Amino acid sequence: MVPFAAAFGYSLLYSFGIIGVVNDGFTLEFWAEVFRSGAFLDALIYSVTIALISVFISVTAALWFTLKFQKKLRGKIVSFMIYLPLAIPGIVAAFFTVQILSKSGLFSRFSYLLGFTSGITDFPDLINDQYAIGIILVLISVVMPFFVLLFLNVYDNERLDQLTELARSLGASNSQTIWRVSLPVILRKTWTLIALYFIFLLGAYEVPLILGQESPQMLSVLIVRELKQFDLTKISEGYVVAVMYTILVSIATILLFSKRSTENG
Amino acid sequence: MGRWKNGILITYLVAIVFPFIFLFLLSMSSGWRFPDLLPEYFGFKNWGKVAGTESGIAQSFLISLVISLSVAVSSTLCGFVISRYVSYHPKKRLLTLLTYFPYILAPVVFGACLSYYFLKMGIFGTTFGVVLAQFIIAFPYALIFFSSFWNEKIKSYEDLVATLGGGSLTTFRKVLLPMARGLLMVCFFQTFLISWFEYGLTSIIGVGKVQTLTIKVFLFIKESNFYYGAMSCCMLIIPPVVMIYINKKYVFNKLI
Repeated sequence: MVPFAAAFGYSLLYSFGIIGVVNDGFTLEFWAEVFRSGAFLDALIYSVTIALISVFISVTAALWFTLKFQKKLRGKIVSFMIYLPLAIPGIVAAFFTVQILSKSGLFSRFSYLLGFTSGITDFPDLINDQYAIGIILVLISVVMPFFVLLFLNVYDNERLDQLTELARSLGASNSQTIWRVSLPVILRKTWTLIALYFIFLLGAYEVPLILGQESPQMLSVLIVRELKQFDLTKISEGYVVAVMYTILVSIATILLFSKRSTENG
Repeated sequence: MGRWKNGILITYLVAIVFPFIFLFLLSMSSGWRFPDLLPEYFGFKNWGKVAGTESGIAQSFLISLVISLSVAVSSTLCGFVISRYVSYHPKKRLLTLLTYFPYILAPVVFGACLSYYFLKMGIFGTTFGVVLAQFIIAFPYALIFFSSFWNEKIKSYEDLVATLGGGSLTTFRKVLLPMARGLLMVCFFQTFLISWFEYGLTSIIGVGKVQTLTIKVFLFIKESNFYYGAMSCCMLIIPPVVMIYINKKYVFNKLI
């Protein structure tokens, strides 16, 4: 906690101009400038949208896979294979995506050979694009396998096999067992982790750094860009964004765990 | 319907394996120009240079290994010992909540805000600085990880040893460490992976001087040297794949 407090304290003082090489003393100028430029709000909306879409698709797909294939996913080879994505860090996933989805990547080559495109420029922008397609695809590919394994674990621990069997014997249809038994049990057990993953993705760095565009940028990329720039007078604004991000994440954490503590009694 | 569903499952499994095969094949290639599907050269030429100074990949592998082992050992041991005091503390809930803050914040932002202190301590751009920075992230993880270990049963064992005249050091060495051996192994590998996969924090505190494998991948992307980039990716992937093969628990742990 000491390093966290030290980092936050330093950023806070810098953001108010109290410390810093070119700062003259307390001022609200940097905070006003950040709000005026809208950089933080743009990055926040962009990050929240990407994180929400990625988590939503990952959780939905993982739930579907778990409920449809929970028996087949336990086969000897398959059960080993579904762990393999966890061996791929974000930076490798981003590198692989560049090789596959860039204008000179593998898909573009296939598209050219099949006659769908007539050259590099014809291929659509799937990375460094305005809709963050590349970023979202990579985040899904990194997060979804984890949720598949998590949901499979919950499926076992909560004995969902027996619960669904019981529901069927009491006259429930297939869709009723899914919507009224399996899904509520899995989601109630894992919602904290899902929310935590949303917060993690909000602060994603290397994937948007490689696959994102110049503007808007995700929060971490924006903060580091502002803090590392050559114009020393602008660094304080970077610390303003860092302080706002830290406060936001801290509030989310407190809400998340106080709610969890209440539920656990 | 059944065939359609099987098709999706097979597609998913192929999508899992494909990156591994593709990256390995790319690491063996050179002269892969658009629109060719196959490269001009395919063989072990690139891998022959893995230990050379031109690529620097073997050196980065060793640096990554030293950093990750240091972070894993220190954070696992500190996490195990200190989590005991947190778990038995009257304000356990508050302390556990506070543990989450450094863990949940984006490491790169945390590193950027901490860099001033690293500069003042003279460890900015050093391997020790990177180890310390990564420890600050991995240690809270270890604390949270071990919090479930300390329960009434363990407390009873500790009390029993104390009743029989054993000191706290004996309790740790003869009772607690053997009982927690499995958890210690899992935590060691998990914290090893946190460090092994880390990029943002390392780039900030290491300022390009400490070139771990993740930093190398990014440098090769910037240089458009995709063949060496793929080789670095393969080196990054190998240890976790081995861990999965030995024990899946080493890479997957639902923390909360």
